[in-house]
Amino acid sequence: MVEGELLIRNGVVYDPINGVKGEKKDICIRDGKVVEEVKNPKIIDAEGRVVMPGGVDIHSHIAGGKVNSGRLFRPEDGRKGVKARTKVCRPESGYSVPNTFATGYRYARMGYTFVMEAAMPPLAARHTHEELVDIPILDNAALPLLDNNWMTMEYVKSGDMDLLAAYIAWMIKATKGFGVKIVNPGGTEMWGWGKNCSLNDTVPTFDVTPAEIIKGLAEANEKFDMPHSIHVHTNMLGHPGNFEITKETYDLVKGVKAAKGRQVMHTTHTQFHSYGGTNWGDFESKADAIADYINQNDHATIDIGSIILGDTTTMTADGPMEYSLYQITGRKWTNHDVELETGSGITPFLYSGKSPVNTIQWAIGQELALLVKDPWKLALTTDHPNAGPFIGYPILISMLMSKKRRDESAEDMHKVIYDRAALPSIDREYDLNEIAIITRGMTAKALGLHEHGKGHLGVGADGDVAIYDMSPEERDAGKIQKAFLNTKYTIKGGEIVVKDGEVVATPAGKTYFVTPECDDKLTDEMMVKLKDKFDHYYSVTFNNYAVQDAYVPNPYEIKAPWRS
Amino acid sequence: MQTIKLKIKEEVTSGVAKIPVEVDSLTPDTLAGKTEAEIKAVKVWWGNKEENTGDLFDVSVEGEAGSAEEVKIVLEGDLSRVKHIGDGMNAGEIEALGDVDMHCGAMMSGGKITVKGCADCWAGREMHGGELVIEGDAGDNLCAMYRGEMTGMTGGKVTVGGSAGECVAQNMAGGEIEIKGNAYILTGLNMKGGKITIEGDAVMPGADMTGGKITVKGNVRDMIPSFRLEGTESIEGEEYKKYTGDLAMTEKKAKGVLYVK
Repeated sequence: MVEGELLIRNGVVYDPINGVKGEKKDICIRDGKVVEEVKNPKIIDAEGRVVMPGGVDIHSHIAGGKVNSGRLFRPEDGRKGVKARTKVCRPESGYSVPNTFATGYRYARMGYTFVMEAAMPPLAARHTHEELVDIPILDNAALPLLDNNWMTMEYVKSGDMDLLAAYIAWMIKATKGFGVKIVNPGGTEMWGWGKNCSLNDTVPTFDVTPAEIIKGLAEANEKFDMPHSIHVHTNMLGHPGNFEITKETYDLVKGVKAAKGRQVMHTTHTQFHSYGGTNWGDFESKADAIADYINQNDHATIDIGSIILGDTTTMTADGPMEYSLYQITGRKWTNHDVELETGSGITPFLYSGKSPVNTIQWAIGQELALLVKDPWKLALTTDHPNAGPFIGYPILISMLMSKKRRDESAEDMHKVIYDRAALPSIDREYDLNEIAIITRGMTAKALGLHEHGKGHLGVGADGDVAIYDMSPEERDAGKIQKAFLNTKYTIKGGEIVVKDGEVVATPAGKTYFVTPECDDKLTDEMMVKLKDKFDHYYSVTFNNYAVQDAYVPNPYEIKAPWRS
Repeated sequence: MQTIKLKIKEEVTSGVAKIPVEVDSLTPDTLAGKTEAEIKAVKVWWGNKEENTGDLFDVSVEGEAGSAEEVKIVLEGDLSRVKHIGDGMNAGEIEALGDVDMHCGAMMSGGKITVKGCADCWAGREMHGGELVIEGDAGDNLCAMYRGEMTGMTGGKVTVGGSAGECVAQNMAGGEIEIKGNAYILTGLNMKGGKITIEGDAVMPGADMTGGKITVKGNVRDMIPSFRLEGTESIEGEEYKKYTGDLAMTEKKAKGVLYVK
């Protein structure tokens, strides 16, 4: 936030949360917030240009243990994207695993001002926050992994949903986290024994099923006024035929009532979970089946996790999946176990348009975006860096906006695209209002951040604005891509941070975290069990576990009161 | 034909810290057609500062050139802290009159570099074509890939008059290397293609190789046990044992060939 006034004049504004669809409109900002009018402002002339609220990324891996391991074990990735320091910026390096500075600058140049780190191992929360602090400009938050956790599984087994709620509340507070992340529930615990599991398999060590874990955490999450729903990476990621499991996962939480007017489940990188066929030979797109489900139901939202062709670094808490991928490629692989909580794996991967499997994957992400009718149920992501680096978003935007570009691209892909994917037969083209929804409006709403000034430009909203150097009538896919890669201006909290595609100021971002407020009696009862876990199994003591306030120097606290 | 002489100034190399100079911007491709004044203005990195070539080198130019093929650059003086000589060059010639620092001839795809002395690590790294002659010794990772990359040298020819260090030609996929002296541990590590000839001795050559050919004319110390003896073959009138491997990479992938006396 900076003091002073700013007037963005004559831009064509797309502010979907406030129903503004490409109207010529002035935006007034005072002391970092959008206001009705200003008296003596600095003026930015946005005549005829596209103006949107700052972008909000709902799912990206930008900080923490596995991101840093990715950097360390991929020095060859560090050679790409090298940019020398300037008077304002520190040096940039990396493509799929950019350094913290490049992460902030590149997102800001694309007009993004908020990014959610989508998987924080609780035990590595300090490391995650240290990196978030090191990422310039972007406001941020992180979702702690709470599903393969011993405490969670024991409470799910015993059916103590109130105590489970007390536990997740304590963990979200202890990690300065934002909500509940679920990654291959049960599967990462099974990976500790060299195995994996599907939705209804029993995890023998705890005698629970992934389905029970997901349902339990959804119920526990909705006991508080949480801004976000559970955020789920469903079981069997990347396995042919997994679309049935994905649909079944949606059905699990259909009866759960949301604490707020939002979804009860957000499933992420859905491209990886929309696969048909029985093996890689008869692999096919089932994006239509997933899109049909989302179209017919209102309790679940998705982000697409669309492929960007080329080399990238895959990284996830889904350890067994990374091992399967490593067996396919034979490239380097690393793996990590996080005590009682979770695990992770990392391996590089090349998405090639010559490969029939990669071609179908490439089509699926875009099919999801084009077949889900209501853009308020869908977010644009690449599951950075798993399906491709975030710097590929402008490519995806231009694809969604141009049937011509999709057809031209399909010609360069494996011909299987015409037989086993629906993409070439889809005519829909996104307009700028829909692009604004899937990159800021929907994502802010699904995270509950629209109530905290993100993703819109109504009076009282944060002064986060992206001004793209294009006219709303622009139809040329190449020009659209160029405009969305480097803004004319990015404004963060009323301060110009990017001008003509160059970073000109690097203020520190805020970290948003949620404080679920739980009954003391419940917390005390839960604490007996938790302290026992620390005494017997953790490698750190209870008193050294929680993240201190000093790790979040620019805090933004959201309180989530107990509901029932 | 144009000859560009670049003599490094004594004050550049005489400092206690010996700050390195990086000259990848000084190749026949970039200097062809430039006047002396223009060459002096080309930027080079000296430590973390960008300087004018004319501030670090005495520059003299003889003759004229219409293209990079007609340019010869001669580097003189104490070159032991001059890095990236001929890095990425496509044509023409560079002659370095003395020992040179790391990354000489890295990523070059054409032309010729002659080092009248020794070259430090990473000479010929990820080279695609052209010729690199090192009259003295070469350091570690000659013609290898840089850290983490999947492919090292893919083409061109490298000759070393003396010996070479560790991991020569790691992940090499093509081209030719000739070492007149010895090669230290793990020559051709993970090699996929190309040809290496070592006139002297080698230690553990060919580990994890899946393609290409290595010939050791001297002694092999610590022969990798996962190579299979296929028989003998005569090369230039001498008998060699022919091995295939590395079987540690599985039978199917073990397509490398190792000739040992």
